[in-house]
Amino acid sequence: MASTSGSLRRYLLTRLALVVPMVFILLTMVFVLLRVAPGNPIVAALGGHLSPSQLAARERAAGYDKPLVVQYGEYLRQVFTGHFGTTLTDQRPVTQVIAQNGAATLELTVAAMLVALAVGIPLGMLAGRLRDTWVDAGARGFGIVIYAAPVFFLGLLAQLVFGTYLGWLPTSSQASVLVQATLQPHTNILLLDAMIDGQWGDIPNLLAHLVMPAVTLGLVISGVVVRLVRVNVIQAMKGDYIEAARARGLRERDVVVRHAFKNALVPIVTVTGLQAALLLSGAVLTEETFNWPGIGNELIYYLENRDYIAVQGIITVFALAVVAISLLIDFINAWVDPRVRY
Amino acid sequence: MTTGAVVQEQRDEPGLAAGPRALGPGRARGVRHLVAPLLSARGLPRWLLWTGLALTSLFVVLAVFAPLVSPYGFNQYMAHGARFPQQAGPSAAHWFGTTVQSEDVLSRVIYGARTSIEVVVLAVCFSLVIGVPLGLVSGYFGGWVDRGLVLVNDSVFAFPYLLLAIVIAFLLQGSVGGGVVTAAIAITVVYVPQYFRVVRSTVLSVREEPYVEAARALGARPRTVIRRYVFANVVQSVPVVASLNAADAILTLAGLSFLGIGMDPSAAAEWGYDVSRGIADAQAGYWWTGLFPGLAIILLVTGLTLVGEGLNDSLNPVLRRPAHRRPLLPAPEVPGAGAGSLAHEGLTSAGPGLSLPDAGLALQGGAGAVGLEQAGPGQVDGRGAASPVIAVSGLRAWYGTERGPVRAVDGVSFQVAEGETLGLVGESGCGKSTLGRALLGLLPEGTSCDGEIRFGGRDLLAASAAEMRAMRGPALGLIFQEPMTRLDPLMRVSEHFAEALKAHEPDISEQEVRERSLEALGSVGIPPTRFTNYPHEFSGGMRQRVMIALALVLRPRFIVADEPTTALDVLVEAQILELLSQLRARTGAGLLLITHNLGIVAESCDRVAVMYGGRIVEQGPVRDVFAHPQHPYTEALLGSTISLSTRTLRSIPGAPPDLHQPPPGCRFHPRCPLAMEVCRALSPPLVSRQGHSVECWARTPPGTVPPGQDARLLIESGSVADEA
Ligand SMILES: Nc1ncnc2c1ncn2[C@@H]1O[C@H](COP(=O)(O)OP(=O)(O)O)[C@@H](O)[C@H]1O
Ligand code: SF4
Ligand SMILES: [Mg+2]
Repeated sequence: MASTSGSLRRYLLTRLALVVPMVFILLTMVFVLLRVAPGNPIVAALGGHLSPSQLAARERAAGYDKPLVVQYGEYLRQVFTGHFGTTLTDQRPVTQVIAQNGAATLELTVAAMLVALAVGIPLGMLAGRLRDTWVDAGARGFGIVIYAAPVFFLGLLAQLVFGTYLGWLPTSSQASVLVQATLQPHTNILLLDAMIDGQWGDIPNLLAHLVMPAVTLGLVISGVVVRLVRVNVIQAMKGDYIEAARARGLRERDVVVRHAFKNALVPIVTVTGLQAALLLSGAVLTEETFNWPGIGNELIYYLENRDYIAVQGIITVFALAVVAISLLIDFINAWVDPRVRY
Repeated sequence: MTTGAVVQEQRDEPGLAAGPRALGPGRARGVRHLVAPLLSARGLPRWLLWTGLALTSLFVVLAVFAPLVSPYGFNQYMAHGARFPQQAGPSAAHWFGTTVQSEDVLSRVIYGARTSIEVVVLAVCFSLVIGVPLGLVSGYFGGWVDRGLVLVNDSVFAFPYLLLAIVIAFLLQGSVGGGVVTAAIAITVVYVPQYFRVVRSTVLSVREEPYVEAARALGARPRTVIRRYVFANVVQSVPVVASLNAADAILTLAGLSFLGIGMDPSAAAEWGYDVSRGIADAQAGYWWTGLFPGLAIILLVTGLTLVGEGLNDSLNPVLRRPAHRRPLLPAPEVPGAGAGSLAHEGLTSAGPGLSLPDAGLALQGGAGAVGLEQAGPGQVDGRGAASPVIAVSGLRAWYGTERGPVRAVDGVSFQVAEGETLGLVGESGCGKSTLGRALLGLLPEGTSCDGEIRFGGRDLLAASAAEMRAMRGPALGLIFQEPMTRLDPLMRVSEHFAEALKAHEPDISEQEVRERSLEALGSVGIPPTRFTNYPHEFSGGMRQRVMIALALVLRPRFIVADEPTTALDVLVEAQILELLSQLRARTGAGLLLITHNLGIVAESCDRVAVMYGGRIVEQGPVRDVFAHPQHPYTEALLGSTISLSTRTLRSIPGAPPDLHQPPPGCRFHPRCPLAMEVCRALSPPLVSRQGHSVECWARTPPGTVPPGQDARLLIESGSVADEA
């Protein structure tokens, strides 16, 4: 088996190597967006408020008058040394914004993804298995309508019902003020921090705040998961090994569960990874709706305040997050699918 | 993103590469294909499609005729000199209520449709104009251009699309201003990669289609080829992507406006913006200001998604639902309803045919056996003394398809004795695999079977599904043609064995599972060290050995091996065949060996059955049949095989019949050099002598062919040969 683990290592190294161009392309994209596209961030941010000469001074101060190549090099240097500067609005180091608010976003998105998978996988499997029955029609209908609902609209309904009307759940922020004040920031992921310090009493409060945003975002994404799982199950049921398993006289239930479902789930890993774009986009809206102190929420705040340094840092982090997720997916794939390791 | 999802499905599956199946040149007529799915979709897809179209057109109509339909302007707060009430609930005057600025919510919803549709139409057009050419270029040129474009596109695609749109809208706000165009551009950038992907994969898959390769081989310039063939296919797949993208674009626009970016709220009504304002209202109890615009988004996005999904369902071959209607089997062609009841010497006993009516009826209905021995030649040949493991008589298996029944197996009788190998030969499409699966009860839903399969004292066709399942494995085994794909890629070989054994012997111990599996593997020459390997760690030949061991470990009494060596190279083929014959000798199982290789039959089989067009046209002891072939088809097969080597049967002019509408009479008559008038009208009767039987008018005893029906049919066979 030594050779197997050797080829696994080679596979992962190859994937790592392939990440390099992706990082560069994404960073370049961010750079082009912010510096080269018509209307640079300074003009966009301060255009109406400053005279042309003041604008020019600002651009000079930010180094926007240097040749693009130099600016590009500067930008890459910033990214790789982790010096994103300080926000203009509130003088926070951008890295701090990323660490604190990024952790809140991570908490929300992971919880939402768990909800999406927990809802989407069983429904999709049922729909694929009971294809063209009313179960299938119902599951597909659910998937389509829930995905068609803007996450902020679902959030609004949830707030009305569970917050305003029933009064079961808080409708905004990540924790009550009191809890927030007592927690020590170790990881900035509040649930983890509470566990690390053994503040178990705070966990219900944290969960109560997490439930609505996570379920709202998770349900929207489950709409996509249902459809993907369904298609994969239908496809897997046509596999040659399915017929071969039947020819050995396996029970239909075992054929479906052990062979079809398992094989249907392998591509789901990859596809779930591709939903990262959807997840992060949805997170921005969810955070805004529930006033969740995530990085998307901050982005909107800094956009409103025309703080281009903060915007550039946050967008860059999103680009890097995309790469990290795609790497993570490759690793999970290698772990799930023996063929990848080969 | 929905479309991302669809695109991904297509990318993962080479078979699905272009989503909709590539169209042949003969059908390459763009516009007709746009509407074809609307008319051809059935069942759920049809329902999806029409509901989606209805919803979508409702909103399009609202958008186009907004000034006529809407009671007021989108930001009008007074009429006839009177200001509207503030935050009034739904009433006769304001169906959806009013906002805090006294605007009429219904009017805002209607004008919101206008904004959404404007932005989306613009965005889809922009994306098409940019994405389609890029995809064409990338797929057509390949190489570095392709790789570069793919990398860039993948990166844009992976980026959270809303963020991208936010930043672009933010930047453009400064220079272009916050209007429909700004929003549309922001959304365009997001969706270009999706068109790129679909178009590129369509081009790639079309390039590999046989007819395109053929066109290229014939010297058509690649550009012409792509232009002619790709267009039809792109035209087919783009509507799917476009409608799903439009759905996403509405959501993105709403998201942008919700965040207060992109659209200037004083310039147009926008649903997302209204929902964002509705949040505060709702908490104060004014639920209507946010609810109606939110519902509008859901309805329009649902409508567009339904259109896309419906199109995808009816175009995508994987998703298209097979017809499940079982065909109705008419009464079988009656044996003995032949052209008269004639006896001649050598015929041992009177079959039912002798008692059946006259030639007049037979001329319409078909033919039957002319005086007969007991059906079942196996009993009379040399090894006939052994009792049959399986005895099939009058077996039919018809597939239900959209075109109607496919008569894949159409009245077949044979027996296999213990320890005997019966070879089953014939060109592809003659029904060999169908026959093999029918014996194990493995035909797909929507297939009708009748006749009789006697096995172990019972009729398998009468057995319940559960009984058949229990028999598959321990009683009946099946070895497949393609060993590469028949093992579950995610399961170790050991797990396959454990699973099979436990399915039939639930109380078996782990110890015994291991011993029996290793014994079975050992008997096919796989060392115990490979026991826990995954399927991909074996070569094709090794995998076929594993498959054989997996069938044998359950100790079946009858095995169907469906072209077990076709996918393997010659050396491995010889080893596998040797293995099969050893195992058969040792276990005494009966073997039905399906092949189109007469060399294999000569070496490995005791008897041979020749199948043509769903029927067994000749069977008998191998030496007998090869030395004295009776049926013209058998003769042609033997003639096409040079020195019984591994040649296939391609050198017979013409092609096997389409079993949807097989030729009347003898199915071979369009290709038969001996065909007569009668062959066109009546199925030939079965004539058998000393265990060698044949269905052919030319081999019937003198006087069997009705008078005047024996004229040769030269022209017809010639014409078919020319076609081929
Ligand atoms: N699942 C199916 N549905 C409809 N028709 C089928 C199906 N499988 C095979 N056929 C048709 O039945 C005929 C016999 O096919 P098959 O048994 O595979 O022949 P062979 O094994 O001799 O090549 C062919 O015309 C084929 O197109
Ligand atoms: S002679 Fe007639 S019956 Fe015999 S094979 Fe030819 S066409 Fe068929
Ligand atoms: Mg076959």
